[in-house]
Amino acid sequence: MMDSEALIRSLSEDLQPVPRQALSRLVSGGLIIGVILSLGVVAGTLGFRADFLTALQEPGFWIKLVYAASIASIAILATLRLGRPNQAPKWLWMLAAPITILGFLGIMELSAAPQSHWMSMWLGKTAAKCPFLVFALSLPIFAALLLSLRRLAPTRLRFAGGMAGLAAGACAAMIYCLHCPESSTLFVFTWYSLGMLLSTAVGILTGPRLLRW
Amino acid sequence: MTAALEGSEPDYASLLRELVLLLRAFFRKRMSDRFDDVEDMVQETLIAIHTRRLTYDRTRAFTPWVFSIARYKMIDLHRRTRRTVPIEGLEDILLSEGFEDVVNASVDINSLLETLPQKQARLIRATRLEGASVAEAAAANRVGQSDVKVSVHRGMKALALKVGGK
Repeated sequence: MMDSEALIRSLSEDLQPVPRQALSRLVSGGLIIGVILSLGVVAGTLGFRADFLTALQEPGFWIKLVYAASIASIAILATLRLGRPNQAPKWLWMLAAPITILGFLGIMELSAAPQSHWMSMWLGKTAAKCPFLVFALSLPIFAALLLSLRRLAPTRLRFAGGMAGLAAGACAAMIYCLHCPESSTLFVFTWYSLGMLLSTAVGILTGPRLLRW
Repeated sequence: MTAALEGSEPDYASLLRELVLLLRAFFRKRMSDRFDDVEDMVQETLIAIHTRRLTYDRTRAFTPWVFSIARYKMIDLHRRTRRTVPIEGLEDILLSEGFEDVVNASVDINSLLETLPQKQARLIRATRLEGASVAEAAAANRVGQSDVKVSVHRGMKALALKVGGK
């Protein structure tokens, strides 16, 4: 066995300075690679929605995007924090804000529409595939995020895995907005959230195994 | 550690040498049943500290970060070698938690005090660490007694905020 002094010498040799933002750079690097991969998948297979430019002028599109973006930013910050040993975010309750607001908007929308339309607003035309597409798009992001998390020092692996999964799912939902033709708020509330939950669950299940160091 | 993160090799080497002593004590207390593994664990923790040094947050105290990594490594060892920790071992762990607090306190109190204005730090050192009375501290520093009380109070409050973190 190597003695400690020799180990210390080899570790302190050629010591590379660590910039202050090293940790956030590493995680955002992984995130960006994953997002580019998922964008590529959308561009290559699903295609962007045909009415993309008109959709930009409708509130429905922006509600979706802002909902996913706010969840993504909370989950990304939580992941960054969980990358350090023994640190856990204490502000996850903030996730309740976008969810409540979206639920409220959904109810407003329902009350303005006749009851016979409710089912079709909830299911849209793509409810059966939406959560699974969001989930599928989250996988490259999750993988890239996991690779950068593995170089950090998470001590709560299940929690860290879950937050990485949620971050990946929410980013995937943002990307899926570019394809998804649905505009009902209730649709987004149910099926987008379900997609994010799927990716979170995968993170919680695989975290302890994949993040060990 | 901050100097080490800037890339200073001699500072880093001397820091690691101190950590070896600290970690050896940490693992000996907790692994009384297998002394042979202590050196392995010390080295494994050193390597983890080295490769994951970017996770040290410069605005926080240093030793809790080190102990978090050491504790994780120990839990991981238990996980690898046997599924359960015997109750006797658990008792050891609980008893020796106090050790960690003492080391944390002595290592970090100095660096924490350095973050305060000089006057507050000097007066806290005098009244709280060296055991001088308010009157003695006031005389020694040629300030009023109420000034001593206010400075110490403000300083302690600032320290409490720092230690508590967010």
